[in-house]
Amino acid sequence: MTGMVDIYTIMQNGLNSGNILVSLVFLVIYVIFVLVIMSVFAYLFGWIERKLIAKAHYRHGPTYLGKFGILQNLADLIKLIAKEKVAPKTAYPVLFSLAPQLLVALTVFLVLLLPYSPSLQAANIGPGLLVVFVLLGFTPIILFIAAFASGNKYADISAQRSVLLLLSYEIPMMLVIASTVLITNSYNIQALISMQERGWLLFLMPVGFVIFFIALLAELERPPFDLNEADSELIAGWLTDISAPYYALYLFLDYSKVFLGGLLLSMLFLGGWLGPSFLPPIAWLIGKAFIVALAVIMVRITMFRMRIDRILRFGWIWLIPLSLINLVITYILFV
Amino acid sequence: MALTRINIGPVHPSTHGVLRLVVDLDGDTVVDVDTRIGFLHRGVEKLVENRKYMQCPPYMEKLDYAAPLSVDELFVATVEKALGIEVKERAQYIRVVLLELQRIASHLLWLGTTCNDLGQLTTGFMWAFMDRDLVLRLLEEATGSRMFYVNMRLGGLVRDLPAGFEEHANELLDYLEKRLPRYERFIEKNPVFIERMRGVGILSKEDALDLGVTGQILRASGVDYDVRKDNPYYVYNKLHFSSKHAVSGDNFARYKVRMLEIGESIRLVREALRTMPEGDALGMPVKLVMPNAKNRIAIVSREAPRGEELMYLVADPQSAYRLSIRAPTFINLAALRHIARGCRIADLFAITSTLDFIMADVDR
Repeated sequence: MTGMVDIYTIMQNGLNSGNILVSLVFLVIYVIFVLVIMSVFAYLFGWIERKLIAKAHYRHGPTYLGKFGILQNLADLIKLIAKEKVAPKTAYPVLFSLAPQLLVALTVFLVLLLPYSPSLQAANIGPGLLVVFVLLGFTPIILFIAAFASGNKYADISAQRSVLLLLSYEIPMMLVIASTVLITNSYNIQALISMQERGWLLFLMPVGFVIFFIALLAELERPPFDLNEADSELIAGWLTDISAPYYALYLFLDYSKVFLGGLLLSMLFLGGWLGPSFLPPIAWLIGKAFIVALAVIMVRITMFRMRIDRILRFGWIWLIPLSLINLVITYILFV
Repeated sequence: MALTRINIGPVHPSTHGVLRLVVDLDGDTVVDVDTRIGFLHRGVEKLVENRKYMQCPPYMEKLDYAAPLSVDELFVATVEKALGIEVKERAQYIRVVLLELQRIASHLLWLGTTCNDLGQLTTGFMWAFMDRDLVLRLLEEATGSRMFYVNMRLGGLVRDLPAGFEEHANELLDYLEKRLPRYERFIEKNPVFIERMRGVGILSKEDALDLGVTGQILRASGVDYDVRKDNPYYVYNKLHFSSKHAVSGDNFARYKVRMLEIGESIRLVREALRTMPEGDALGMPVKLVMPNAKNRIAIVSREAPRGEELMYLVADPQSAYRLSIRAPTFINLAALRHIARGCRIADLFAITSTLDFIMADVDR
């Protein structure tokens, strides 16, 4: 643990040193560091998800490869990558193969953009929250392009659904973020977290937390909002015609999006890296993100898939008015 | 507005076998469904004509592979009627026990696949299949086989119930009775489930009668017709049970009727085991079937787990001259087009799963 902390301090100092060259070298190291954390998190999440779901089903889950089957996902990954890349005749080849890569790039970029401790960050962007959520809003649009580019009719339906989904959860999500900004008076993530030293936002606006969690599930396309790839209806939605290497990329995307979502939720509501000092701040942050990820799995185990028109209605009748009320109450209480 | 025509199946996660649906969609709304069947047609009715009577049950069992005993029993009962053979009293009780256990297993399978079709990540599926497997294990104890039993002989059974069966059966039934409320808590308390089932896929009473659907689909539409009650066979008129029916005719009613039926079947098995007389239950050995056909034509109908299954047999002394099967699932599936018009594409699969068809039985 001490070695870990030393590396961490050195990196912190390097990133914040005045020299551009030193900063650049450390930026590269930082990027690799964060990507390793993200990949390890995504990998472990994939394994724990399989194990937990198996537990709920009275099954064993993966057991053969490695201790407790921990290498199973690696084996799956190798198998998927080794397979042939095929594109259907009806697909637009460039967009079809580019879209999953774009999605992964976007997610990785967002993960790199977030701060991991008071000083461990790539760049301190003033309106960081706004930038993150605007960029996050591009995900369904790229999904839409990917679905149409595959030229499959199931994917077409999936594309329509992803736009409707966007309409129903994006507005309440932004309204909740607006109310957090009312409390902190800043779009800066650093400021948001240091404000929470007095008390987590979870306790200041629990309704906002619930709305944000629901919207986050939709953002991550996790059940009960996994309508894009509804396996019992649309076979695999926009992934129907996708070939194995891209599917591996998609799986990585799916898991790393949970990492991103967990980070965002813990930063906004659970105090980010704040915690007793026996662990470094980054450990607190990732630990909280992990707990959020577990909650996401729990929802996945029990919920039935919602219908798209019901989600729209739910979004417009419940989520938007509630988030507006949340905004007004926050304004009255804190401003 | 241009319609999108999509082809669903014959290989699709939710078509339960090899059903092909050609669906015209207006956005997300189903305008028309065309049902294409016949991928699993094996000509069973013709096969039967070239075989001796007791060579046929294995073919019959493969019709409804989720409830093989019900078809097995129906065929044997049809032959018994044609040849004028009486079933021994103990055998009648045992047949009722086995049929009702089979009904429980079949409904549990249906419950699991429905959870899966509603997008529930196979949790309900795994639970229901786990419980179904316990029932199958009990049936294995009684018949010697887990899936395809071939346990009926003319006038009785291949073997009597083994020692300790009643005890094991009661243990299992206690367990299932404890499990049923858990399913209800898990499924019916889920608002998304209620939203997707209630008021969706409504089949009115008149339409249900016109389309000729039977079984739970008819009962869910408010017609209390159960062959076990209205035209009792074996000892069903001596046992106490009620046929469950609902009035709303939607997906939820079909779900509820099936769930209540599991409870009724548990009660039936208990009572049949308790009141079962001692005696002989063995049927005729296969090779000793006498060529003494009395009725030249026999029509027998049974309340199979998926509706009223009926067999029409023109008997020859040694084998069937002609056998015709009224498969309940075939007629129930025909109601799909009527029910599904105007629903959402996601509901289409909720409806197909509550219609509960077995493609082998549909195609024969």
